Amino acid sequence: MNSIFKNILIGLAAVRTNLTRVILTSLGLTIGIFTVSIVTAGVSSIDKEFDKSMEYYGNDKIYVGTWPWSFDFDWWQYRNRPKIDEDSLEYITKYSTYVTDVSIKKNTWTRGSFGNKASWLQLNGVYPGYDEMLSGTKIVNGRFFSQNEWDLQRRVVIVGGTVRDGFFDGENPIGKKIRLNNVTFEVIGELKKQGMGMVPGGTLDNLVIMPSSTFSRILTRWGFDELVLKTKPEDMLKAKEEVGMIMRLARKLKPDEDDNFSVNSADAYQEQFDAIKIAIAGMGFLVTGISLVVSAIGIMNVMFVSVRERTREIGLRKAMGATSNNILIQFLSEAVAISIIGGSTGIILVKLITMALSAFSPLPIDFDLLLIFYTFMICVFIGVSAGMVPARTAANLNPIDALRHE
Amino acid sequence: MPKSKKEIIAIDSISKIYHLGDNVVKALDDVSISIYENDFISIMGPSGSGKSTLMNIIGCLDVPTKGVYKFSNELISEMNDSQLANIRNEKIGFVFQTFNLLPKLTSLQNVEVPLIYSPLGRTERLQRAEEALRIVGLSDRMAHKPSELSGGQRQRVAIARALANKPSIILADEPTGNLDSKSGVEILNFFDELHKAGNTLIIVTHEESVAKRAKRRVELFDGKIVVDE
Repeated sequence: MNSIFKNILIGLAAVRTNLTRVILTSLGLTIGIFTVSIVTAGVSSIDKEFDKSMEYYGNDKIYVGTWPWSFDFDWWQYRNRPKIDEDSLEYITKYSTYVTDVSIKKNTWTRGSFGNKASWLQLNGVYPGYDEMLSGTKIVNGRFFSQNEWDLQRRVVIVGGTVRDGFFDGENPIGKKIRLNNVTFEVIGELKKQGMGMVPGGTLDNLVIMPSSTFSRILTRWGFDELVLKTKPEDMLKAKEEVGMIMRLARKLKPDEDDNFSVNSADAYQEQFDAIKIAIAGMGFLVTGISLVVSAIGIMNVMFVSVRERTREIGLRKAMGATSNNILIQFLSEAVAISIIGGSTGIILVKLITMALSAFSPLPIDFDLLLIFYTFMICVFIGVSAGMVPARTAANLNPIDALRHE
Repeated sequence: MPKSKKEIIAIDSISKIYHLGDNVVKALDDVSISIYENDFISIMGPSGSGKSTLMNIIGCLDVPTKGVYKFSNELISEMNDSQLANIRNEKIGFVFQTFNLLPKLTSLQNVEVPLIYSPLGRTERLQRAEEALRIVGLSDRMAHKPSELSGGQRQRVAIARALANKPSIILADEPTGNLDSKSGVEILNFFDELHKAGNTLIIVTHEESVAKRAKRRVELFDGKIVVDE
């Protein structure tokens, strides 16, 4: 062990005396490690954002609508489908064995204002009890509307986090009056803030929820309706199949007719997202792989130069009693040192850039100790594989010939 | 030779044969020689006589094709590379014509090189290296690099390096070949002192003046020992 350490020190001393050459050589690896870290951090950040969006839709929710959430090119097949109507819900509550809770969800966007502040808000009209079906958020202040308020079409709303921040400056919003499409509503509840996600508009909190009865009476402009059905996550597939059949029944479709509705859930996004993620990661790792291979070749080249330059030194060390293994370790540690220098520079660069970015970007970029550990392992691996052939050449030199080398 | 002296090296009819294409070159042809403690031997001979080959074999840098080589009763001719490296490290000190000091290391670090490959700890290594430099009279040049030393001083650093491991024999290959005559004499005087101090010395040379210093003279010609007196 002690003898290995001594030979490592000799290798490191060689790095110190050729510092310029070492830094130039390690630059390739710096770039490689830099890209691999950025790609990894980028993918895991996108992943986190996506998970949050998935939470917003929920892994236990089925959404029945006119349009499928993802389609390729055939949009004209969907545009003439009949609108979703609430009557279908009766069939679902009556016949479904997997669906535990249902609600209509009417969607539109409208202008909302409070005092002299105004914003474009997403509006949802739902059934009472929908608070039990919320995913990724919950009521944190005030309450949800009651059955009675729904029956009486009361003008009450529950607001999302950004609405609270934007209109009320963090003040308690309960009891405040806001105007939506020039109708006055009273705020009775507030939702927990969810942050940014990959949904239209970016934020998940720019939201106002009200009774669907009120929504239909006062805000009947353009918009679209969906059925929101709750099930158990493990029953998702069976539930979707069942809901599809019940909907055909509700729509009185003949066996040879195609579905004129779409049964959606978050896993449809998951597939699309996975494809994008694989594409990003694939490109990133291809570029990184190439730059790592190129930098390994660079290190190997410099190591050959180093061995050649020091042939006499190798001969002398062998004459003085160095074994082939001593020489092997000496040159391997030189190669590993070059690659670790390159890798650490890359890591420091990434760290600086993420620090700079986090000041400007709302998207957090992940950067953790595990990444540093992996980078270190990659560097050791590259150093050993790039240094192995030159180091073996050095170790196998015949001391007599090496001492004669000019 | 007085039989009371301890035999260090016993070489019994060794040959070294090289194949260069179709030619078979007998660099050493059936050579036998014994070397005793505190011998001072010069090995002479014209180019191609096999003196370098003999020196490489004695120095355990090479193994004979045929024959038996025993060093302190250890069978060198059957050893593998790392065993040979250990023998070189423990028992042999080399002095080269071109000094072969590492240019980026100080005198002290240069002398420390063979000690690094021994099991000695760091403090003991430094003590030994300092002591060796004191013996060659360069205590005041320990932090100097080879480029800051004269030729004679460099060769003395090299001798200190050869002494550092307290070897059984010191092998010098044309030690005065790259020195001016004054430094050469200085180095030879120093070899005399080393001999008087009890060391075993073998000097390979083609200079008569160098060979005269030795107490025993071995001459090679065409791979055979022709003189041993």
